[in-house]
Amino acid sequence: MPDGQIVKGYIVPGLPHLVLPRDSSSRAELRNACRLAGANARQARPDVLVIFSTQWISVLGHMVQTRPNPKGMHVDENWYALGDLPYDFHTDFDLAKRTIELGVAAGLQIRPVDFEGFPVDTGTLVALDFFNPKNELPVVCIACNIYAGREEELKLGQAVHDAIRALGRRAVVIGSSGLSGHWFTKDIQDSEDRIVGDGDDAENRRMLDLIASGKFTEAMDAMPEYARKTGADMQFKAFFWLIGALGSKNVKAKTLGYGPVWGSGAAVIEFSL
Amino acid sequence: MSQKGQIVSGYIAPHPPHLVYGENPPQNIPRSTGGWEVLRWAYDNVREKIKAQKPDVIIVHTPHWMTMVGHHITRVPRLKGLSVDPIFPHLFRYNFDTAIDVDLADAIYDEAIAEGMTAKKMTNPNFRLDYGTIVTSHMLNPDWDIPIISLSANNSPYYFSLNVGIEEMFKLGRATRRAIEKTGRRAVLAASNTLSHYHFDREPDPNLPEDMSKEHVFSHQNYLWDMRVLQLMREGNMDELMKVLPQFIDATSAEVKSGGLFWMLAAMDFPNIPAKVHGYWSVIATGNAVVEWDLTKGANGHQGAYAHA
Repeated sequence: MPDGQIVKGYIVPGLPHLVLPRDSSSRAELRNACRLAGANARQARPDVLVIFSTQWISVLGHMVQTRPNPKGMHVDENWYALGDLPYDFHTDFDLAKRTIELGVAAGLQIRPVDFEGFPVDTGTLVALDFFNPKNELPVVCIACNIYAGREEELKLGQAVHDAIRALGRRAVVIGSSGLSGHWFTKDIQDSEDRIVGDGDDAENRRMLDLIASGKFTEAMDAMPEYARKTGADMQFKAFFWLIGALGSKNVKAKTLGYGPVWGSGAAVIEFSL
Repeated sequence: MSQKGQIVSGYIAPHPPHLVYGENPPQNIPRSTGGWEVLRWAYDNVREKIKAQKPDVIIVHTPHWMTMVGHHITRVPRLKGLSVDPIFPHLFRYNFDTAIDVDLADAIYDEAIAEGMTAKKMTNPNFRLDYGTIVTSHMLNPDWDIPIISLSANNSPYYFSLNVGIEEMFKLGRATRRAIEKTGRRAVLAASNTLSHYHFDREPDPNLPEDMSKEHVFSHQNYLWDMRVLQLMREGNMDELMKVLPQFIDATSAEVKSGGLFWMLAAMDFPNIPAKVHGYWSVIATGNAVVEWDLTKGANGHQGAYAHA
């Protein structure tokens, strides 16, 4: 079996405003960037998607979805008025299992999740909407441990990387995460949306510049301060995980889109190897 | 016009899914050999009391429905489905089916708006109730023969500050009280909170979660804090309780921060009557107590610093 490889990586926003309501034309730049990311990813002919979502929160270590065919109806606890998110996708069980084994061997606490009705989160489903609209590709879904820091997420990403290589997969890895995490606490019209936190826009752009210029270690070093200033979505730890999976050499990053979602910062970043 | 409604009692009603798991009700899929009996027996006492009080509705404020924009109120006549706890799915996969008191939900919404708050009616029939609402509701009334209302926890105490969050809860409490009075309801309130909230970072034995030989409170310091606030409740010392709660939250990461207790005490007008502690124990190291304020017994209304907040 040839060694597997990761063919693309992405950071994408996970709020449902980008897919619901279906006929909305709001936040066009971000929606179009997500569509472009999905198209580029499919063009790379992956045979699996690995999605780490900051909206799937775990507390006792990490969790990995191992149910063969998660299906059901998801209603977001905040944005239920936008519409429902039905889902029906397939899990790459072998890749999920190997990821768990390698992560545990690296000292992480990781649990498989195989339960009917287990709630698949909004961030994962928004990513699937753009990257796997016909549910043709199998998926591995990974939770975001609220207590995990840089080292743990790098290890978890490395476990994904090693599992992909070991099983010969062509994979696209996706971190579903926002940037700055300040938002409007009152109702707004879509047309009123903007990055709401003082200084958040500048901090987001600085972080995006670091990433786009390939200064990944510098970006990771800057992360605690960035997260503190901007209330970043789960401290933007999805980036640690992604770098753990991609490695930091021979990787080029490009921002495909950037903008607000209900005051928070959101970007679509593409990583090519 | 209906008779003026009233809050008949309020409970701190913690929601660890372990309690439902330990009880093995038919609605929950996982099976156990028991566990956490002291808390479950405490709930047994409360169930009898609630049946006797014949309330029209149980209103639950839950920290596991966290909302970003305002305070949300379930407003669908019936909610039904399978709720799987995302943290403890091996313990809690519960088939829920409950009536919602939509007229009272409308009234709470109206009164919240009148308070100048941001509020929303949750009208999506596919909405999945969170495990905080379900565990608390089940443990108080496993027959589910009393309609409920679930109130979300707006994240203002985390997003802004504890003080901002408390002020919001005082307003929501007042709004809830007025709505109950105007609609003529006999209401039970439930603050779905643990006390001290530091917990183990892994289950001592994932294959036997109910192994009570492994269960203990996180630290003696947390235990002392839990006992201190419970003692103040038992004494009916509302002024001192309100004074120490912020320190308690800071010292023990108490889940009280999410707002339910502040909401409930405000709705009850900070009653200066002794509360009854039905039981206290740890669940995966967090401190949990079932505590009752019976407003049919004594003074309803407080004369201290928090009167008519």
